[in-house]
Amino acid sequence: MTQAEIKLCSLLLQEHFGEIVEKIGVHLIRTGSQPLRVIAHDTGTSLDQVKKALCVLVQHNLVSYQVHKRGVVEYEAQCSRVLRMLRYPRYIYTTKTLYSDTGELIVEELLLNGKLTMSAVVKKVADRLTETMEDGKTMDYAEVSNTFVRLADTHFVQRCPSVPTTENSDPGPPPPAPTLVINEKDMYLVPKLSLIGKGKRRRSSDEDAAGEPKAKRPKYTTDNKEPIPDDGIYWQANLDRFHQHFRDQAIVSAVANRMDQTSSEIVRTMLRMSEITTSSSAPFTQPLSSNELEFVGKSGDSGGGMYVINLHKALASLATATLESVVQERFGSRCARIFRLVLQKKHIEQKQVEDFAMIPAKEAKDMLYKMLSENFMSLQEIPKTPDHAPSRTFYLYTVNILSAARMLLHRCYKSIANLIERRQFETKENKRLLEKSQRVEAIIASMQATGAEEAQLQEIEEMITAPERQQLETLKRNVNKLDASEIQVDETIFLLESYIECTMKRQ
Amino acid sequence: MAEVKVKVQPPDADPVEIENRIIELCHQFPHGITDQVIQNEMPHIEAQQRAVAINRLLSMGQLDLLRSNTGLLYRIKDSQNAGKMKGSDNQEKLVYQIIEDAGNKVGTEFHHVGQAGLKLLSSGDPPASASLSAGITGIWSRDIRYKSNLPLTEINKILKNLESKKLIKAVKSVAASKKKVYMLYNLQPDRSVTGGAWYSDQDFESEFVEVLNQQCFKFLQSKAETARESKQNPMIQRNSSFASSHEVWKYICELGISKVELSMEDIETILNTLIYDGKVEMTIIAAKEGTVGSVDGHMKLYRAVNPIIPPTGLVRAPCGLCPVFDDCHEGGEISPSNCIYMTEWLEF
Repeated sequence: MTQAEIKLCSLLLQEHFGEIVEKIGVHLIRTGSQPLRVIAHDTGTSLDQVKKALCVLVQHNLVSYQVHKRGVVEYEAQCSRVLRMLRYPRYIYTTKTLYSDTGELIVEELLLNGKLTMSAVVKKVADRLTETMEDGKTMDYAEVSNTFVRLADTHFVQRCPSVPTTENSDPGPPPPAPTLVINEKDMYLVPKLSLIGKGKRRRSSDEDAAGEPKAKRPKYTTDNKEPIPDDGIYWQANLDRFHQHFRDQAIVSAVANRMDQTSSEIVRTMLRMSEITTSSSAPFTQPLSSNELEFVGKSGDSGGGMYVINLHKALASLATATLESVVQERFGSRCARIFRLVLQKKHIEQKQVEDFAMIPAKEAKDMLYKMLSENFMSLQEIPKTPDHAPSRTFYLYTVNILSAARMLLHRCYKSIANLIERRQFETKENKRLLEKSQRVEAIIASMQATGAEEAQLQEIEEMITAPERQQLETLKRNVNKLDASEIQVDETIFLLESYIECTMKRQ
Repeated sequence: MAEVKVKVQPPDADPVEIENRIIELCHQFPHGITDQVIQNEMPHIEAQQRAVAINRLLSMGQLDLLRSNTGLLYRIKDSQNAGKMKGSDNQEKLVYQIIEDAGNKVGTEFHHVGQAGLKLLSSGDPPASASLSAGITGIWSRDIRYKSNLPLTEINKILKNLESKKLIKAVKSVAASKKKVYMLYNLQPDRSVTGGAWYSDQDFESEFVEVLNQQCFKFLQSKAETARESKQNPMIQRNSSFASSHEVWKYICELGISKVELSMEDIETILNTLIYDGKVEMTIIAAKEGTVGSVDGHMKLYRAVNPIIPPTGLVRAPCGLCPVFDDCHEGGEISPSNCIYMTEWLEF
């Protein structure tokens, strides 16, 4: 794990879970897998706290455990999984577009809580939806569970591995750590639950008298005394499926940009048909326009022609396009022209670069050296003589996409870390102001509840002066901007990571 | 002619007569005559007298001495040329001959040989391959020096003289800007020296190239627009948005923005730059020989395209374009907290 990645993970953990979890998490990422005692010893935190922190991390699937020889249990953190936390907003948004608000809330709950049982999810989501609905209406459990089932069918949520039920009674002591297994088939099986009920609207605490909540509480607990039918079956969000979806989206939009709408629709259909299975079957129309795309190729003639989408090539061209756009924005369009030229010709001499690109010699040389120094390009030496005399060797410029992609990825990580830091800095700067505004809001709310007059409310609102209000506005805008930019950089990260993963798998 | 022969029958050692005869023979065979021919015609004259006559003719500038595969050849010099060289001395004539030689590489089999009295030179340039250069590249001053074995100062003086007489001209080579090549005044320098249509006075015409670039792109873009608006079957739409290189060439010629005549290859190089800009894509289709614009049975078609992804996320954040990215870390001089680029960007 590179320094930049570790820094980013520490920032994310701190923001989402707090200092202690961050300390433990970063320690685990740095040092690999370690047993419990060693963690406690090295980080200097008490055993109790370490246990709690680990619980949180395991619950969110960020840390996994294994039983090693001699019965020692070791914990290991997954850095890549921590980095996925950046992408949570995108997952939630995608579900919103596909399954509307219900789906969005389901996925949000799952992401926030790591693992949940289905009934717990349904109940929570129904409650939340009921709150936002108009008075008198409540959300039916059935609708929520329908959406849940649909999510499971399209594999967006999956079952967590669970403790296997041992039929033979094991006389020996229970193992120190349970080995979790999950059957491939069972991963998306929704248990047969009949959840009947409606969402409960949470009453605002002001309406109840102080004594009433206590009386109400036993009633709630009696409700929950019935054993939850699906105890032990926990669900989590299936991130790989989301990634697949993003990738398909990227490919379809690329096709739409390059060709026209209809061919992108064809490609989308092909991808959708292969969502569950990996191979595709023949579409109904002949996509003749697929000649120019490198993605789609013909693979046999059965059934009127079978077409496959070459995913690796698709990801490669997307990654290349990302590289090109970075070069264009950083160095200018002429540099981008040279970059694309070298990409196409694979290996090319400096003299030829000038001729093909129609750029004056001096400028072309300058640009080539600049890109070389930034590691977008590399030189290949071909000596003419056994002593590699510089005057008698050919120097060819070439672009190695994999290494350039890695370099760019590293830069992305650092950029996001910078953006998060800046956001925290901005918030800290204006902490005083924020606290003041919060206090004022609380006062106003309480006064409204107790029925204050307009004049008094006005007075209190004026506690925040106009320039302060302005400052608050600016702060809010800046924080939003930084947030949005984090998400955008994350998109780049996604493309580059998918490309690198795909290429490494091939090798 | 017979009379002359009869007259020559008695031992006639009149050098002028011999010279005249030789000149007439040369006129008879404008390609050049070998020594053998002269010997045949005037069998009675000794070799020495012959040599003296020939030398005289050469020094007077009326004969050219060439060497071919079969031996030495004498050729009558063009009277016009002969007039030019009046007043130049031997060395200048030699240098001029060398330059002319370089210019006449195409299609000649002969090598110029220096006058008697100066060393015989072997130019060593294979004549056949010289004609492949399909143009005249001129000769460098250092080459002239090697060929004539004259010292540098002499050469420079001579070259200046010849230039002032407007017999030769110096052309600055585009490849090495300090290097000058010389060629006869009336010859056209080759592409490799001047750089072809894109150079004027050895300066790369960037603006010209840019203008052509934009014009070609606009043409292709408008074609794609009309094709899209026609809203037909996508295949027809796609096909009609293509333009062949010939069409583009005709369009540019009609526009008349270029003072220099542009060939189809020139236009193709411009279109290639558009491909490297990512704005245009090209396909090659097989075309029947004889269709307009086809070369070797292929035709190149071009089409304006959009980029496949919009500017990527990283470059929308200031860190993506930051020039001091590597120096930036928390707690240092340059850090995210006090980054001025971010401050500017946030105020935007």
